[in-house]
Amino acid sequence: MTNHLQTIALLEMSLTCGVFILLLAQRVFQTEFPVFVRILLAFLIGNVFFWPLGLSMELPLAGYVRGMMGDLSVVTMLLLWSSVLPSKPIPLGFKITALIAACAFYPFALGFGMTDPYVWGYSSISLLAGVLIFALVCGLAGWVRGTWIFALTLLAWSVHWHESMNLWDYVLDPFLGLWSMISILLAWNQRRREKARSGFLFRAG
Amino acid sequence: MNRILALCFLLIAGVLAYLRIDSQPAWSSFKPSFEVASQSANEEQTKTKLPISAPEADWLPDTGAPSVHAASLIALNDGTIRAFWFAGSREGAPDVVIASSVFHSKEGAWSAPTVVMDRVRAERGLSRYIAKLGNPVPARMADGRLQLFFVTVSIGGWAGSSISSVISNDEGVTWSKPERLITSPLVNLSTLVKSPAIAFEDGRIGLPAYHEWIGRFGELLRIEDSRVIDVRRMSSGRGAIQPAILIDGQEQASAYFRQTRSSDQAKEVPVSVTKDAGRHWQIGSDLPIANPNSALAVISLANGTRLMALNNLETGRYRLVLLMNNGRDNDWSIIQTVEDDEALPDLQRREFSYPYLMTANGRDAHLVYTWDRKRIRHIYFSGAWLEHAQHQMALLEDKTEGLKQ
Repeated sequence: MTNHLQTIALLEMSLTCGVFILLLAQRVFQTEFPVFVRILLAFLIGNVFFWPLGLSMELPLAGYVRGMMGDLSVVTMLLLWSSVLPSKPIPLGFKITALIAACAFYPFALGFGMTDPYVWGYSSISLLAGVLIFALVCGLAGWVRGTWIFALTLLAWSVHWHESMNLWDYVLDPFLGLWSMISILLAWNQRRREKARSGFLFRAG
Repeated sequence: MNRILALCFLLIAGVLAYLRIDSQPAWSSFKPSFEVASQSANEEQTKTKLPISAPEADWLPDTGAPSVHAASLIALNDGTIRAFWFAGSREGAPDVVIASSVFHSKEGAWSAPTVVMDRVRAERGLSRYIAKLGNPVPARMADGRLQLFFVTVSIGGWAGSSISSVISNDEGVTWSKPERLITSPLVNLSTLVKSPAIAFEDGRIGLPAYHEWIGRFGELLRIEDSRVIDVRRMSSGRGAIQPAILIDGQEQASAYFRQTRSSDQAKEVPVSVTKDAGRHWQIGSDLPIANPNSALAVISLANGTRLMALNNLETGRYRLVLLMNNGRDNDWSIIQTVEDDEALPDLQRREFSYPYLMTANGRDAHLVYTWDRKRIRHIYFSGAWLEHAQHQMALLEDKTEGLKQ
């Protein structure tokens, strides 16, 4: 069971690293590769992270990344992976919800007061209902990818896909919170610039 | 079409998740370590006892490493005692290993030390980088196997710790591959163990753990095999770590902590109590015994007597004492000063820290602690000696009561 879990986790982390490096390369070179090339590159880079490279390293590269970052939540992982495929942009509503959830959750989960919301992740019907409702709203609002991601996340939690038994570890992680915050700030900054530019264009002469 | 498919899939996932919640085991009562013997039976034992032998002290075997720390003990099925501790060039060094040795009480000798876990074996088993190893804590599983919890760090200092565990089918001779316990939502960072586990009536283990990064607080982990199935907070904020639990009944327990408060706050032992078998904990009044931000150890004996080992100082770790409580009130009396360097100049005082107490038969007590970070000291308190100390303590209490009246 342990080997099975560890192999899956290493595979996931390898692919995650592959996708992350691919997205970073696209950003740096300001280009967008065709879908087939993206998938191929993510797969190839992922392989570099998965297999032991020898040298003086005791583990594959993905093992070192896991040591530093732990395992990503299933939601973060699927969001990242699915960004390789052509799809609609992630809605701002999702980012805002993720940021609010992270801001409300982490201070209490990390020791502020005697109420620990992390406990709810083991067997809380309310938390499960909250995740289901959010996934349903994603689908009804037109972001079907979100519904798929949360459905797969719940399925992964149901079958103990990762080492954790806690639903929070499948739906939220600090990287998702951080990414949401940066995305919101960038979107807000862009909107401000566009507004300023349009104001300049239509200003009375 | 895609939306309908997604919603159908969500429904199936929701049903499976509900079934998962439904299969979560119900919370169980505490399993008392020993049935409490009656006071009269205890007194009878004291009257008919053999000559009282003084506490016997010896050392855990030398591993050749210059730095050792965090010893712990567990009774084996054949009546021997197995000890675990970590040893290396210094605390936190990559060469630190978890060592183990067995104490044969008849011969009064420790076996040659063996290595249970090293850094490379831990990282290969866990498939992630491990920088160093830390505190080992053994526990007995309901099916009789031994489980050893130990701290690993991948990044940073002890605040970056996580807990892993290995299982042995042969009383600690060989061990399984390590498995990781997930205990924290923030990259699983900053959870450590120090104190003995407790047992629940349903056979699951309750492991007192603590965080020491953003918050410094205690938690009770409910463990099934090598997985955390529930967590309950025992304290909050940044003032209490390393909880050590004393079971008071099937639903009641007290937890005593190492204080980590700021300098303007009381340097005493923080306490939390539960009245529902650990589901909820309430912060109680401090135990009025000095604690200099150092670990303490507690155990209950079969007759209800409790023992505590700690540095009863506000600063420094140069004195280590053993205290006793009758289990009926909150008075603790020193029955043995185990180490004391108070007479020495500050620079010559040594450190006596990380005590760990264990009883093999409910009457006696084994104490191990770090001796100046160089060696691990073991002291055996026989049942007769402890009963004598209890008798003396009762006489003193009667005398004090008499003087008050």
